[in-house]
Amino acid sequence: MDEMASDLTATGARSPAAVRRMAEAALRAPVCARTWREVLYWLASLPVSAPGFLVSLVLIAAGTGLTLTVAGAVLGVLLLAAGLGLARVAGEAQRALAGRLLGLRLPRLGRPQPGTGVLGRVEARFRDPTRWRAAGYLGLRFPLAFAGLWLMAVTWGYGLFFLTYPIWWTVAHRQATGPHPTHGLAPILTPFPAGGAHIGTLGEAFALLLPGIVVLLVAPWVTRGLTAADSWLLRRVLCGADLAGRVRQLEAARALAVDDAAARLRRVERDLHDGAQARLVALAMTLGMAREKLDPDARGADAERARELVDAAHASAKLAITELRDLARGLHPPVLDNGLPGALASLTAGSAVPVAAFVDVPERPTLAIEAMAYFCAAELIANVGKHSGADNATLEMRQHERRLRLRVFDDGHGGARTGRVGGLAGLAERIQTVDGSIEVDSPAGGPTTVVIELPMHA
Amino acid sequence: MRVVIAEDSAILREGLVQLLTDRGHEMCAAVADADALLAAVAAHRPDVAIVDIRMPPTHTDEGLRAAIDLRRNHPDTSVLVFSQYVETQYAARLLEQDAAGVGYLLKDRVADVAEFTDALQRVAGGGTALDPEVVRQLLGARGAVSGLAALTPREREVLALMAEGRSNAAIAAALFVSAGAVEKHVAAIFTKLGLEPSDTDNRRVLAVLQYLRG
Repeated sequence: MDEMASDLTATGARSPAAVRRMAEAALRAPVCARTWREVLYWLASLPVSAPGFLVSLVLIAAGTGLTLTVAGAVLGVLLLAAGLGLARVAGEAQRALAGRLLGLRLPRLGRPQPGTGVLGRVEARFRDPTRWRAAGYLGLRFPLAFAGLWLMAVTWGYGLFFLTYPIWWTVAHRQATGPHPTHGLAPILTPFPAGGAHIGTLGEAFALLLPGIVVLLVAPWVTRGLTAADSWLLRRVLCGADLAGRVRQLEAARALAVDDAAARLRRVERDLHDGAQARLVALAMTLGMAREKLDPDARGADAERARELVDAAHASAKLAITELRDLARGLHPPVLDNGLPGALASLTAGSAVPVAAFVDVPERPTLAIEAMAYFCAAELIANVGKHSGADNATLEMRQHERRLRLRVFDDGHGGARTGRVGGLAGLAERIQTVDGSIEVDSPAGGPTTVVIELPMHA
Repeated sequence: MRVVIAEDSAILREGLVQLLTDRGHEMCAAVADADALLAAVAAHRPDVAIVDIRMPPTHTDEGLRAAIDLRRNHPDTSVLVFSQYVETQYAARLLEQDAAGVGYLLKDRVADVAEFTDALQRVAGGGTALDPEVVRQLLGARGAVSGLAALTPREREVLALMAEGRSNAAIAAALFVSAGAVEKHVAAIFTKLGLEPSDTDNRRVLAVLQYLRG
């Protein structure tokens, strides 16, 4: 719904293109992947949040009650702690589910800094805002889930029921009028809760197709609205003010960024030292030798030798130029100045394995993100060429709202890992410095898919 | 002169081999890391080893440590350390025990073939060759010390050349003055620094370095 609203404001309410897009979105809604992921989310969250809520509520209530009676205080405190712990686990499960199915990016519910001693540990649990927020979230979500599942069952259930009504009607009619007629009328002929119309003929049954379609068109928006409400709860209540967790995350990212910058400088120094610098020394040495051969009275063999040395020096100078150019390009590829599409096109064009590239990035990310996206793509494409043994690869870079998504697929033999060392591990560290993420799916035998997500702004 | 070279950059290694072979020196071995250097020196007992400071595996100071090792265990082989950078700390470590038969040159110096081979010859003969840059930094590091401050600019020039390992005659040629004038400067320097005058280049360098090291 957000996308539709922004379409309207961006292009004007009367714009035919906007109206057409709205209509298309409305018609596609019942069958689009997002809708089905949301429905799946609600179904999957049922066994997580309902027992989580009920059990932790019972524990918290019983714990609080017992704590108030002086006699059961110890047991009460323990029950309360258990209830809060369970709420955190259930909240975390819900968060993971939303991350997987809704693509909602929320920080993990971290554990609090552990206290020392028995009392300290208990106290740390009670002071942990994450647990209280998780309990609050489960409490608020319970009525939402209750209403939501009922609404979804009604919309999807009746929509599908109306749409297939002629079949049910025919079956029921046969049973009612066949050789062994069952007694009574066809079952459930009036799906409306308040009695409604009695369907007597097949024509009337077909007439129900129209309301069926209408209800099915409405159903995804009901689901979407409910999901939006739950996303709001997840963001604001469950993960709302986890500032301490965010600070820890940012500290880790900053440390990685600083280390990464130092490591990169070291690499540049090493490349200069081993490459262009050594070559220039050799060049100077060769020229020095040539100069000695070129004394004013040099002739014959010495002059010939001098020419050879100058030739060698010339070749050495050209190699030094190439090496310096490669090094400079490694620091910042000039081709990036015109944006990612051109840069990625020339990157994939140079790959040994044929790569089909799809780039759809309407907005330009900030320079740092652009460079990182480019280097990630370059590293992944280089890996495909070096390790995968693939015949074909695909590179996609798309903008999803405020995030840049890079997906590289190859049909090679798989087995890529983001371990503690190696190219992918280094890549993962660099990606973390800007709050990005990397997922590698590379079973032995292939194929390999790597998905990297970066924010649009560093 | 029998020479062993340890340098991990293939292009420089081959260039050095060519340069020295051209001048009629005998190349015993040209290797790419410190372990191979120690083995080659033990096997060939060369007059001099040319050693790059940064070599595999860590690319830090493998060459320097190997050079110190060589000086201790093979005193008959002189060592010319060869580096892209000047590190006064490295120079100090190298010269800690004995500056005889030791050199520390920037790689740039190979551009001047004659000077480079002179320095190599000096080191192989038990003398010293310090890069002017090393001397400049060592002097700069200790510039504020009294005594050094009392030197005239010309005496500082003479001291720097002495520290590089040059003889009086070479200093006279470099500064376009007579040998007698250089002797006068040297005597003045020793007096101002409170050092005993001496005949051999080597002891002069030792003395200068001892002073520089404080």
